[in-house]
Amino acid sequence: MAAETTERRMSGKTFGLALGGLVLANLLVGLFLSPRHVALQHTPIVQIPNFLAFLGVPGAWMPPQVTFTWIVMGILVLGSWAGTRSLKAVPGRMQNVAEVALEAFHSLLDQMIGKGGRDYLPLVGTVGLFILTSNLMGQIPGFQAPTANWNTTVALGVTVYVLYNVYGIRKHGFLKYLKHFCGPVWWLAPIMFVIEFIGHLARPVSLSIRLFGNIFGEESVVAILLGLTWLVMPYLIFLVVMLPLSLFTAVVQTFVFIMLTMVYIAGAVEEGHGEEHY
Amino acid sequence: MEEQGPSALKELLRLSTIGVGLVAATAIGLALGYFLDWLLGTRPWLTLAFTIFGIAAGFLNLFRDVGLLKRRP
Repeated sequence: MAAETTERRMSGKTFGLALGGLVLANLLVGLFLSPRHVALQHTPIVQIPNFLAFLGVPGAWMPPQVTFTWIVMGILVLGSWAGTRSLKAVPGRMQNVAEVALEAFHSLLDQMIGKGGRDYLPLVGTVGLFILTSNLMGQIPGFQAPTANWNTTVALGVTVYVLYNVYGIRKHGFLKYLKHFCGPVWWLAPIMFVIEFIGHLARPVSLSIRLFGNIFGEESVVAILLGLTWLVMPYLIFLVVMLPLSLFTAVVQTFVFIMLTMVYIAGAVEEGHGEEHY
Repeated sequence: MEEQGPSALKELLRLSTIGVGLVAATAIGLALGYFLDWLLGTRPWLTLAFTIFGIAAGFLNLFRDVGLLKRRP
């Protein structure tokens, strides 16, 4: 028990240090960089030359969302490697972090999908950690969140859309899964099929637009406030209101995305015959 | 007691997703009808029909989400 308390206090201290570092970094940017550097289209801190030009990728540099997606991938791969490198009964620091994340995903899956929900951990966990890491990375000055670009979120949304349909077909078989769409009354079936089809097509659209809109809007507001730093007041608004709010948005949007993913999977693999009387 | 907080927050987040879904379903219906009209050359009719289907789909999803909310104690 004492060890756990110490651990908690230490993680609290780490969290405080990270938050302080973030405020300090933003303070330095606001004070020492000219407003031009922190406008929305500022040059990102990491640039990779466009080595895929022969495949038709335009421009002299790789698009920033691609670069930062690779950085997020690197962070996640290194983190999971460090977390599982040497597994012990009494976890070390990195293994502790990995276990906490895994536990959180497990309990969410058990709650939302129920029995057999842990089979879908690879999709939900990967998507959740990717979105969380990239949202939080957008808070560091000089970095951009890959999720602030519609291309990234559409890729995520389409992945989720295809996979939950695949899970449903794998569970029920093709024809029985299609019967899900037809509603309870047979003479309404053709109309219900079209309506359900459109409703399902709307899911990846709303998923991707929601994530992209939230992160992009938040980054735009931050960029405008930082561009007006010389007026002092917008800068105070940024530090007191927008910085905590954008951290909150980052976590909440991750949560909404994976929660909706789990709701869709649960709807696709449930045992009933699509007769949803509420 | 520990169950109450996260659950209420979850329901709130669930509710916050309803608006975008309604608009997205309508837009998808409109786009699908427009595309089919372009494909088949029946200019106004399929656009109209599929827009109405899209609106219906949006409201179906809305009622499902709200019903799911109400069912849970």
